[in-house]
Formats: sequence, structure tokens, C-alpha cells
Amino acid sequence: MLNRRQFAFLACAGLLGGSVLPAVARADTADAAGAFIEKLLRDLSAVVNGGKPVADQQVALRKIIFERVDVDAVARFCLGRFWRSATPQQQKEYTEIFRNVMVSNITGKVGEYQGVSFTVGKAQMREDDVTVASIVNRPGNAPNKVDWLVATTSGAPKVVDVIAEGTSLRLTQRGDYTAFLARNNNDVQALIDALKKQTTAAN
Amino acid sequence: MRGLSEFCRRTGMWMPHRLVLPLALAIGLAGCATPPPADEPDAVAEFQQLNDPLEPANRVAYALNDGLDRVLLRPVAVAYNYTLAPGVRGMVHNVLDNIGTPVMLANDMMQGKPRRAGDTLMRLVLNTTLGAGGLFDVATDWGWPEHDSDFGMTLAGWGLPEGPYLMLPFFGPSNPRDGVGMAADMFIAPTGYLPHGPQNTIFSYTKTAMSAIDARAAVIDDLDRIKAQALDPYATLRSLVRQHRQSKIDEMKDDNRQAAPAAWAVTPK
Repeated sequence: MLNRRQFAFLACAGLLGGSVLPAVARADTADAAGAFIEKLLRDLSAVVNGGKPVADQQVALRKIIFERVDVDAVARFCLGRFWRSATPQQQKEYTEIFRNVMVSNITGKVGEYQGVSFTVGKAQMREDDVTVASIVNRPGNAPNKVDWLVATTSGAPKVVDVIAEGTSLRLTQRGDYTAFLARNNNDVQALIDALKKQTTAAN
Repeated sequence: MRGLSEFCRRTGMWMPHRLVLPLALAIGLAGCATPPPADEPDAVAEFQQLNDPLEPANRVAYALNDGLDRVLLRPVAVAYNYTLAPGVRGMVHNVLDNIGTPVMLANDMMQGKPRRAGDTLMRLVLNTTLGAGGLFDVATDWGWPEHDSDFGMTLAGWGLPEGPYLMLPFFGPSNPRDGVGMAADMFIAPTGYLPHGPQNTIFSYTKTAMSAIDARAAVIDDLDRIKAQALDPYATLRSLVRQHRQSKIDEMKDDNRQAAPAAWAVTPK
């Protein structure tokens, strides 16, 4: 039989374990996400400051984006409620074209990021995801506050949003798409066609 | 994106008064957006989240602003960037900032943010003296960086909701709260109390024009990119401006640095 003191000790330990362990796990997740962003930013600046030809830089960036960003999840988010009303064929076509738009938007301005440097700040849990703060310094520009939203639920951490000076890229993109859809009878096909036209015009 | 809200705040003041009424009528005729039927909860939620019941009228004002920007403001801003060295443009920006600090200081205090008021006061004192009348921003280098502060933010801090999104002709994106804030800031500004006379008129027109050019020049690339990449630039700008404004308000509300040394302070619970 346990005496009272032993029982109290065990109860406390149990309570503590119950409350502390998940908090420790959360701190671990946040730290892991912070390290993930630190590495991502190191790799990104190595590419843009590496002095290789622009075409090579774009290939390297593309690889980083598809490895570390959950592009398909971002695509789904940006279509919002229309994801469910789209046919499987449209979902596939849209995701494909979204990948191209995203990559060309990012790699298209690779030259502007010459000389960029980053400082990674605090990582904090936000519901299931982690936000990692950072400061982006570009020569000749005021430092920018950029937060990275990292999803950790699917195992490997992946970027799902970038919040630059308080503006979320995926929210802004969703606002653009829903406004376009509202003016085109909520027709997902019209959006796909417009995005297609945009990527062919850009290339 | 920091430049955007500043740009929106500063571009104004050159509307001839007799234009106001016809313009208001023309825009009013464009009317309101039709809310979606109540049996589509997703669509209703989206309508509320966009917060733009006056969208048709706002789009008319946007078209007007965009046209003016194309023929006047953007070309002037491009020429400004092209002709003046970055250092000179930086000084213009610093001087305009410095002229605005008294209004910011008043707002920091009304927001109940003593440390932010302290930052602004240090900026005013250091930049006006050591910074040669505001030409140089020495305060930022010494640890008193700039922040946003205006009466619209003060009202937000006092709990006033923003109201519907408004695209004001000439003034750009706003809402009733920030519109009132803009008028209040003009009223607070000490430069408005200079003795009347030609010098004062020249000063205020120059300041307004330079503010518009300075703010527009800072966002040339950003706005060009939005217009090139967005399917609906109006909606994209609306989303960016509202998010950015909210983040500045949150930043202000969350800034709870102590005014007294920590040992003296009574920590509020």
C-alpha cells in the first residue's frame, strides 16, 4: 500500500507530467520549426548571393520551394470555398498552374534579392502551426519584418504562409482569386484560364 | 509594404472643392454591393470578411485614382527617383517625417503608450537638433526607430471599429474611422496653426505635394507588381491595405513596455 506521502508525490508527478509534457513537446515543435526556417533562409541566401548565373539560381530556388513549401496546401487555401465546388479535374489543373504561378513569381525577382541577409527571431506555436519571426535586410531598403508560418502536422515541417510586414501572402492571394471568381460567376474554369493566360504571358 | 499605408495616408489635399459634390454624386450612383442570399453561409461569411458593402462605388473611385496615378502621380514619382540621388530622397523623406512627429507624439500619448511616445519625442528632439532640422535620421541609428501612429490608430485603440472599407477619391483606401482620424490629425498638426500668409500657403502645398511624391516613389515596384500579377488589383490592394493596417494597430496595442524601471512598476494583472 502507498502511504499518504507517496500517494501525494505520485499524484503531483502525474499532474505535472500531464501538464508539462505536452508543453515540452510544443516547445520542441517550435524549436524544430525555428531551426527549419533558419536553414531555409541560410540556403536561400546561399542561392541568391552565390554569384551563379540567374538561370542556375532559378533552378536551385525551384528545388528549395518544392522541398520546403507545401505548395499544394497553399493552392488549396487560396481557392478557399471554391476548392470543394471544383471538379477533381479542375482541382488538378488548378494546382498544376498554381505551382507555376508561384514559382515564376518568386524566381522572377531573384535578381532583386542580391545581397539579402536574414536574422531569425522567436518561434511561437499558433494553434497547430508555428510562426517563426525573421528580419529581412536588403541593401538600400529598410529592414522588413517577415514571419514564416510552418505546418508540422504532416511530419516534416513545411512553409504554408509568409507574412510580410503584417500581410499574409496566402490571404492576399485568396482575396484576389475570390474577387476574380465573384466577377466571373464563381466559375473555377474561368480562373484557371485566366491564370494560364498570365503564365504564358509571363514566359 | 510599409510604404503603402503611408502612401495612402499622404496622398490627398489637392482636390478642388467644387469637384467634391459632382464626384460624390457620380460615385454614389454606382451604389452598393448586393449581399449574397442567406442560405449560402460560406458566401455570407466571405461578404462579411471582405467588409466592402460599397464595392461598386469604391471601384469607381479606384478607377479614378488609378487613372490619375497613371497620368500624373506615377510618372512624377518615377522622374523623382530617376533624377534625385537616393541620399537626397532619403533626406526629403526624413524632413517630412520629422514635420509629422508632433502629431505622432500626441497620438502616442492618447493611445496610452508612454514608451512609444518617448520614442517619438526622442526622434523629434534628436533629429531636429543633431539631425540638422530633420535632414538626418540619427534617432533610428541610436535605437529610437520610427513607428506608425495617427488618430485612426488612436480611435482603434479606444475600441472604435473600422467600419466598411472605403476607397476615397484622391485620398485612396480608407474607412470611416481612418477618414475621421485623418481629419483630426490635420486639426492637431501644429503646422496648421502657422500665421496665415503666402509663405504658409507655399509651405503647406509643398509639403503635401512632396509627401505624395515621396510616398508614391517608395512603392513604385510594389504597386507595379501588384498590378501585373493580380487578377483583380482592386481586391488585392484592399486585402493588403486592411491586413497591413490591422498589423500596425495590433503592434501598437501589444506594445506594453514599461514606462518606469521595472523595479518601480506595479505589474498589471
